[in-house]
Amino acid sequence: MDVATARGAAEQLLTPWAQGAPVDEALLRRIERFLYKEARFLDQEQHRDWYALLAEDVFYWMPLRENRQRRDTRREIDPDNVALFDERKADIDLRIKRLETGKAWIEDPAGRHVYSITNIEAFETGTPGEFEVLSVFTLYRNRALRDESTLMGRRRDILRSVDGDFQIARRLILLQQAVLLTKNLSVFF
Amino acid sequence: MLTRASDYIDLKNGTVDRRIFWEQSIYERELERIFARCWLFVAHESQLPNTGDFITASMGEDGVIVARAADGKIHVSLNSCPHRGNRVCFSDSGNTRAFVCNYHGWGFGLDGGLKGMPEERLYRATPGFQKKDWGLRQARVESYLGLVFATFSEEAPTLAEYLGDFRWYLDAVLNPEEGGTEFLPGVTRSVMTCNWKIPADNFSGDIYHALWTHLGGAEPTLGKKGGVKIDNENSWQVSVNGHGWEFGTNMIGNAATMGDREILRYMKSRSDSIAARLGAFRRDMWGSVASATVFPNFAFLPGYFSFRIFNPVGPHKTDLYAWTLVPKNMPAEIKERFRLGTMRTFSPGGILEMDDGENWEHCTATNAGYVTRHQRLCYSLAPSGEEHTPDLPGIVHRGQLSDANQRQFYKRWAELMDAPTWAEIPMAAPTKQISEVA
Repeated sequence: MDVATARGAAEQLLTPWAQGAPVDEALLRRIERFLYKEARFLDQEQHRDWYALLAEDVFYWMPLRENRQRRDTRREIDPDNVALFDERKADIDLRIKRLETGKAWIEDPAGRHVYSITNIEAFETGTPGEFEVLSVFTLYRNRALRDESTLMGRRRDILRSVDGDFQIARRLILLQQAVLLTKNLSVFF
Repeated sequence: MLTRASDYIDLKNGTVDRRIFWEQSIYERELERIFARCWLFVAHESQLPNTGDFITASMGEDGVIVARAADGKIHVSLNSCPHRGNRVCFSDSGNTRAFVCNYHGWGFGLDGGLKGMPEERLYRATPGFQKKDWGLRQARVESYLGLVFATFSEEAPTLAEYLGDFRWYLDAVLNPEEGGTEFLPGVTRSVMTCNWKIPADNFSGDIYHALWTHLGGAEPTLGKKGGVKIDNENSWQVSVNGHGWEFGTNMIGNAATMGDREILRYMKSRSDSIAARLGAFRRDMWGSVASATVFPNFAFLPGYFSFRIFNPVGPHKTDLYAWTLVPKNMPAEIKERFRLGTMRTFSPGGILEMDDGENWEHCTATNAGYVTRHQRLCYSLAPSGEEHTPDLPGIVHRGQLSDANQRQFYKRWAELMDAPTWAEIPMAAPTKQISEVA
């Protein structure tokens, strides 16, 4: 994915939310099922199963957050800024490979995660077969004896309907912390 | 209770008393004698291009506002209202004409001066009250090649003296190209429950950890047989006034772990030009396997050009703020590659940085044990003695795999902790002609 395409994907994720018609109940249920399955893959460290849910042209983005005065006219979230994740599919493969080396010592013994996905809404987009999906995640992590952290945030996805299931084509992850209050992001969202 | 800090550091045997990473009384003295007296990094000039631009920062636990005033100068003001003490500015960055305290509405200029307040006539009627006495406290501010430092000490030496001959090495990352440097927009900020000295000493001289800590993170880009390789005959540790830099000499070693061939191709294409500007030795330092700390808590990684501060929040907690520095003249396409490459390696979700935090947290937490913290740690690695070469300033050791710089870091730490005034703090005599580039 070249830079212009990536910037276009980022801009798509920054457009106003929930402008399309809500999807029907049956489709919403299928989308919910997809998100719960995805969360289960992450809970259980089935990273390759999760990876298979990403579209080949996925744009996966967790921008930084900043405290700004309300009158500040600059965009808080800007695709040109340094980010926490700003990934294409090959970059995510690289991150999973780190876990697969068996030499990421801080992952051994394994930590415990639980993802809770709520506030799911889905809307039609201008592109047939692509849906805007909003959700809220809570990720609780616990490691060793008493290391723990809870990360909460919002996601805005573009899910693409493919062969009766979905793929994640775009994902914006908005963590609601300006200073990351956990020691690392050795996780996916 | 701390008596003499030098009793906690045994330079002859290379040991460090673990209580320095844990005890509140030692931490309180660090705030007084290190963070309130040293030159501390607060900003890059590129973050404040226009009048009214500001960012907020911390110097130790003292919050400050760094702002460019109408006189074009950068001012560093204590971010606390002198009236009742409230924090004045809550934004991380912005552009403004004034900072107004939320409590009673006292307003301060970009230079920190008190401009006015509600019902000002009552103060005018108050005998002895003068607005000029009640501005935000000002720090001294000086820059070196775009990096802005500040200190609240009136007696500290100049920044040039404080950095000393370390400036000659700093030019390898701050002055490789015409036109100066800039920070890419955005700062990654995270918190680690570790003592601030653990990452600071690591960056001053600990490449040794990379051979083991970063095996998992390095393998996906460097390959199974790759890993981080160190040539101890052709690498160095240098130290000046407690500032330390350990480095290899292959120009691109750190950059290679980002796994981006275009970055390496670009860096190689700059080789002759940088050599012509800085000489071959510092050209080879530019992006090599290396890390450095400017005492006490400003650190950077050549090759990724990640610049960061380890700011203390109590003895057991450290804020990590990190920026990516690039030459202004670097092509936009390569800047974009550094933006992504640095994020993927050295940011809170970076495949290399993630491995560090957990180690540093538990190097701190174990000291809760009384018996544990009364052990001494081993900083004795010294495969080669000090070298005296006329070309290289400072205290020079051949071989990156060494604890030489970390011993110098703690030597400096003890010197500052034990000296009541700056006059008693030894300064290395300058030996190098440093080119002053505006």
